[in-house]
Amino acid sequence: MSDSVEAKEPVAKPAWGNPVTRVLGSLAFALTVVLLLALACIAGTLIPQGSQVEVYLARPGGHQVLGVLSALGLTRVFYSWWFVGLLFALAASLMVCTGRRYQAIKRATGAARFRVIGSFITHVSLLLVLAGGVVRVIWGQKGAIQFREGEAVSSAESSDGPMVLPFSLRLTKFELEYHKKTTGAKEAPVDMILVQWAEKNLIAHFPVELNVEHPVVPADAPAGASPAFRVKVLRYVADFALDGATGDVKSRSDVPNNPAVQVCVVGSGSTNTQWVFARFPDFGSSDSSIAAMPLKFRFMAVPPEEMGMRGGDIKAFKSTVEVIEKGAVVSTRTIAVNSPFSWGGYTFYQTSYNPDDLAWSALQVVRDPGIPIVYAGFVLMMTGLTLVFCVGPWLGDQRRRTGELS
Amino acid sequence: MTGFFNMTALFNISLAAYFCAMVCAVICLMTRRNLFDGVANGLIVAGVTIQTLYLGIRWVEAGRAPFSNMFESLVLFAWTVAVVYLLLRIRTKLPWLAAAAAALSALALAHASTFESAIRPLMPALQSNWLSFHVMTCFLGYGAFAISAVASAGYLIATRQASVAQVETRQTLETIVTQTISFGFLFLTLGILTGAVWANSAWGTYWSWDPKETWSLITWFIYAAFLHFNFMRGWRGRRAAWISIIGFISVLFTYYGVNFLLSGLHSYAKG
Repeated sequence: MSDSVEAKEPVAKPAWGNPVTRVLGSLAFALTVVLLLALACIAGTLIPQGSQVEVYLARPGGHQVLGVLSALGLTRVFYSWWFVGLLFALAASLMVCTGRRYQAIKRATGAARFRVIGSFITHVSLLLVLAGGVVRVIWGQKGAIQFREGEAVSSAESSDGPMVLPFSLRLTKFELEYHKKTTGAKEAPVDMILVQWAEKNLIAHFPVELNVEHPVVPADAPAGASPAFRVKVLRYVADFALDGATGDVKSRSDVPNNPAVQVCVVGSGSTNTQWVFARFPDFGSSDSSIAAMPLKFRFMAVPPEEMGMRGGDIKAFKSTVEVIEKGAVVSTRTIAVNSPFSWGGYTFYQTSYNPDDLAWSALQVVRDPGIPIVYAGFVLMMTGLTLVFCVGPWLGDQRRRTGELS
Repeated sequence: MTGFFNMTALFNISLAAYFCAMVCAVICLMTRRNLFDGVANGLIVAGVTIQTLYLGIRWVEAGRAPFSNMFESLVLFAWTVAVVYLLLRIRTKLPWLAAAAAALSALALAHASTFESAIRPLMPALQSNWLSFHVMTCFLGYGAFAISAVASAGYLIATRQASVAQVETRQTLETIVTQTISFGFLFLTLGILTGAVWANSAWGTYWSWDPKETWSLITWFIYAAFLHFNFMRGWRGRRAAWISIIGFISVLFTYYGVNFLLSGLHSYAKG
C-alpha cells in the first residue's frame, strides 16, 4: 500500500544559492507558507472582519475574545502585518522557484520543456499579480463621491483624507430603471398618482381612490420624520370639461378622453386643491399657488405588469456626468454598474443611489497604476497553465504515438 | 420557445436519464455485463443532450446566461459533472465511475428542484458578459474536481483489495485523479481570473477578500499543493487521494457553504 514516489518532472536543485535561498526555494517552505495563508484565509472568512466593536462584544466571551482577536490581528486578517508578511514570504519563495525553473528550462528537452516553460511563466505571473497589488497599495487611490444632479465635485472622500482630482465632475442626470414584468397575461392599466418632490424625486405613489388620505414625507426630511403632508383624491372625471355657464367641472362622457383627478394637499399650514391631468401633466403649473408647492403630481394609467416600474426589481442605475477642465466641458459620459468611465488616469464606478432621492448618486473613483501589471499577470498565468496542462501533455502524447509507430 | 418545449418535462427527463444511468451502471457492476455499461453511458449522453437543450432554451428565454442563482447553478453543476465524465469515458472505461457521476448529476438536479426555478431579472451587477464566462469556467472546474474526488474515494476503496484487477484499477484511478485535477485547476484559475476582471469592471477592485473569493483562493491553494506534490514529489496513492478529497470539500464549501453561511458580494447566489 505504499505510495509511488517516482518524480514526474523533478526540478533540479540549484548549483547556486546560499542556505537562505535553499530554504526559500524548497517545496516544504512554499507549501508551509501556502498552508498558513490558507488557514489565515479561513480565519478571515469565519471571524467577522472590520466590524463594529458591538458585534464582537455580543458574542460569548465578549471582551476577552475581542482582546485576543485584536491582539492577533484577527479582526482585520487581510490587512494585518503577519498576513502581509506571509504574502512577502510567498513572493520570496516564488522568486527563488522562478529562478530555479529558469535554469531547468535549459536542461529540459522534448515535450517536458514546454511544461517547464509553462511552469516558469506561471510563477512569473504570480509574482506580477503580487507586484501589481503592491503598486496599488503604494500608489493607488480610492475615494467616494456623493453628489446631486447639477452639483460638481473636484475631490473625493477617502480614508486618507480628500482625494483631489485634476478636473471637476458634474452630475447632469441620474436615472433609475426597473425591469418590466414579462410573464403573465396583460391586465387593464391602473390609475396611479405619483407624488414628486421638487419636480424630480418620486417620494410616494398610490392608486386613485376617492377620499383616501395618504401621508407624504418630504424628500429632504430626516429618516423617521413624521409626514408633513396629507394627500387625497377628491374627485375623478373621465372626460374633463368646464361648464360654460357655471364654470363647474363636469365629465363629457364616461370614456376617458381627458381623464383628470382633483387632488387635495393639506400641510405647511394650508390646504391646496388642484386638478391633475393625465394627458396634460404640465397644465396649470404656471399657476403661482401650484408653482410654489414643493409637491408635484403626475396622474397616469400604469399597466399592472409594469407596476414593477416603481418598487420592483432594479434593472440599472446610471449617472450622466460631465468632465470639466479649466471651466469647459471636455467630455460627457454615462456611468453604470459594469460600465465605468475612465478619465485622466482615474476610473469612476457607479456604486449606489437613493430610492427616496432620485437626484442623488454615489460613485467610487479609483486610480490604480497596478492594473496593467495585474492583468499582464493574468494573461501570463493562463498562458503558463495552458503550456503545463495542455500543450506539454499533448506534445508528449504525439511523440509517444510517433515512437510507437516507428 | 417554452410553448414548444415543456421545460419541466425536459428537466425531469434529464433527471430520470441520470438516475436510470446510475441504476444501469450499478447493475453492470453487479452482473459484469457490458450491455448495461453501454446503456448507462447512452443514458448519460441522453441526459447531457436534454440538459443542453434545457439550458439553451432557458438562455434564450431569459435573454442571458442561465447561471445566476442556486437553481441554475445546480443545473449547470449536474451538466458539468456529466460532461467531464463523458470526456474521461473516451479513454477510460469504469462502470462505477459512470454510476458515481450519474448519481452526482441526478442528486444535483433533484436538489435544484427544491429551489425556485422561475426566471428572474438580473440585478445590475450581474448584467455583464463576464457572467457566462466566469460561472461556466468555475463550474467546469467544480465538475472536474467532483469526478476527481469520486475517483479518489474509489482509489481509497480499491487499495483495500490486492487483486491484479484492482492494481490496474488503482493505476487508472491515479491517472484520472491527476488528469481531472489538472483540468479542474486550469478552469478554476480561469474562473477566478475572469471573476477578478469582472469585479474590477463592476466595483473598481479585482480582489476584495469577499468570502467566495477567499474560499476560491483556499481551494486553489489546496489543488496547487496537490499538483506540486504530484509533479515534483511524484505523490500518487492514498496521500494524493486524501488531498483530492479535502480539495473537493473546500469546493463544496466555496460553492455551497459560503452561499448559506457567510454573507458577501455573492449573497445573491443563495436564492
